[in-house]
Amino acid sequence: MDKFAELFAVLILVSAVLNAGSPFIEFGIKLYAFQSLMLALYTLMVALHSNTPSLYWSFSITILFKVITIPYFLFKTLKKTDIKREMDSVIGIPESVVLAGSLTLLSNIIAEKIITSVIAFGSLIFTISLATFLIGAMLMITRKTLFSQIIGFLTIDNAIFLAGNSFTRGMPLIVEFGVLFDLLAAVLILSLLIINIKKSSINKTMKHN
Amino acid sequence: MIELALAVPALILLLSLFAGVIYMSYIQIAASVIVFAAVIDGVLFVKPDKIFLGGYFFIDSLNAVVLFTVSLLELFIAFYSFGYIRTEIKHGLSKRKFKYYFFWKNLFILSMMVSILANNLGIFWVGIEGTTLATALLVSFNRTKEAYEATWKYVLMCSAGIAIGLFAIVILYFTTSDFYGQSIKALSFLNIIKVGGKLDKNFVLLAFILALTGFGTKVGFAPMHNWLPDAHSQAPSPISAMLSGVLLNTALLGILRFYQIALSAGIYSAKYFFIGFGFLTIAISALSIFKQKDYKRLFAYSSMENMGLITLGFGIGGIAVMGSLLQILFHALNKGAIFLSSGNVLAVTHERKIDKIKNLSKMMPVTSFMLLLAVIGITGTPPFAIFLSELLIIIGMFSFNVIFGFIVLFFLILMFAGLLSKTLLLRGNSNDGEKDGSPIIGFIEGKSLHPFLLYVPALLIAISVIFLFYLPEPFLLLVKSAVREL
Repeated sequence: MDKFAELFAVLILVSAVLNAGSPFIEFGIKLYAFQSLMLALYTLMVALHSNTPSLYWSFSITILFKVITIPYFLFKTLKKTDIKREMDSVIGIPESVVLAGSLTLLSNIIAEKIITSVIAFGSLIFTISLATFLIGAMLMITRKTLFSQIIGFLTIDNAIFLAGNSFTRGMPLIVEFGVLFDLLAAVLILSLLIINIKKSSINKTMKHN
Repeated sequence: MIELALAVPALILLLSLFAGVIYMSYIQIAASVIVFAAVIDGVLFVKPDKIFLGGYFFIDSLNAVVLFTVSLLELFIAFYSFGYIRTEIKHGLSKRKFKYYFFWKNLFILSMMVSILANNLGIFWVGIEGTTLATALLVSFNRTKEAYEATWKYVLMCSAGIAIGLFAIVILYFTTSDFYGQSIKALSFLNIIKVGGKLDKNFVLLAFILALTGFGTKVGFAPMHNWLPDAHSQAPSPISAMLSGVLLNTALLGILRFYQIALSAGIYSAKYFFIGFGFLTIAISALSIFKQKDYKRLFAYSSMENMGLITLGFGIGGIAVMGSLLQILFHALNKGAIFLSSGNVLAVTHERKIDKIKNLSKMMPVTSFMLLLAVIGITGTPPFAIFLSELLIIIGMFSFNVIFGFIVLFFLILMFAGLLSKTLLLRGNSNDGEKDGSPIIGFIEGKSLHPFLLYVPALLIAISVIFLFYLPEPFLLLVKSAVREL
């Protein structure tokens, strides 16, 4: 069971790295849905392992919100805006893959320094969640297409949920539900903004000043 | 009856979906009066420190100060909104645009109240993220390119920042669940404080730093402040006043909770983070102010500077903490007066650039005089209350370190010079007698603006002067007991 949990966690990181390596928006959203599914399955494994009923709930609301609803709205927005791929990013695709690899290495070094006490699944999960967090932040900073920035933000969020489910046996249900609800509302508002920005016929890229 | 502060905005929120905007402006005034009365009743005349609604919410002296500030400013904003909507509709804005104004405004107030009163850190998080989402569509109210860009930056940066705040809460939950088990109890602030001394110091420090940077994004601390001037200048003026005056303080309250936890765990180095961030924020805002061309952005930078000063005061400790707590109230009142009177200018001229507006002192004598008074007030000049709180912070600063005190004072003087020179430029007397600055032909200030638009900022300025000489006794006691908590 532990091996399965670790496999799912590694797949979360793999999907984040793949995201860094792909300029295609639609693929990025699919990867996000896949990543959320892996997160949900990981939660299920932890739930089976530690026998905590609240994590089953966490599993099902993760599926509901992150695997189904949020990607659905993102796809719907994507159809309306007609953006196919990343237009121009600060750094190219090969560079960002290399950067993602080095961020993973960095996270491993940090995790080995910090982790002294016993955590549910050891320092591997902490490395993965930190690396996913940093890759998400990198996506937000280097990509200029609005969709990629949302995906970066959602990746950060998944990383935090992974950390939450491995450090502790999940956040209290009411808090987790509130967090997911806020996340959904944020995605809805951001999609609305994308459509409006597109409508007021401005260039799709944003300046970071 | 402090529960009313949560119940009434929730009720009005639902009501606003059905009632028209003109009716809503009456209902909003009634609701704001009720909330204010409930807060006065619950905060000033009853000894605070009570838990309610099943332990999810509580009130102590610290959040009582912020709660009082929010409800007081909100009362004025309700009256101003009443006039603002009528004036904007008269000047040709369609009623449909205001359709969801009260819905989002009340959702904003509700989530702010939730996060202020929350005992549970998770609930605090949900509330503070709620304020970002509720204000998002208010910031993009004007539906221009700039407004949408500002909103995008605002939502994405604040959401990412608050996500880091969530990380802080997760880490704290990990350490406290050793004592309370994996349950909602382990996130309760009062419970965490109780076992503060036994917590793992490394993790508490990590949580504190993450919370400081995460929620600090929402406060507008210096390296993460990019969104603040854009969002605050694009929102409609009453909302700008709320954003600058009270929302920043609400986010700061969350950081102060983590600070209290860090202190209870015996991490006294936490205060240096406050001093560092506070100083950086003051320095950057003071240096940025000279190149601003938009007057609402100017005042947004002033909010940043004030938040920096408040944070600095909390970090220094001693007498400066009292100054910071008073500054929270005084800054909210004064910043309200600034944004509301500059809102009058915007409502009439529809112009944001400083150099496009001339002869304001002739065109809008009352408004421009109020704006000047309010700007003088915000810089901490004597007849206004901020003088008192800034003096306390500055005294604390000099007793902390003389050289540091002089450096901060230098930046405060820069801020004073920048703000005042730009505002005087706005009033500007162009000698050639040309009336090219004339906003609208046939415009007479008293007739074209709803009277509330002139009374409300004037009252705010008057209160600001009165508070310098006379602070209500119960409020002073509240502040004193809040000082003891930090």
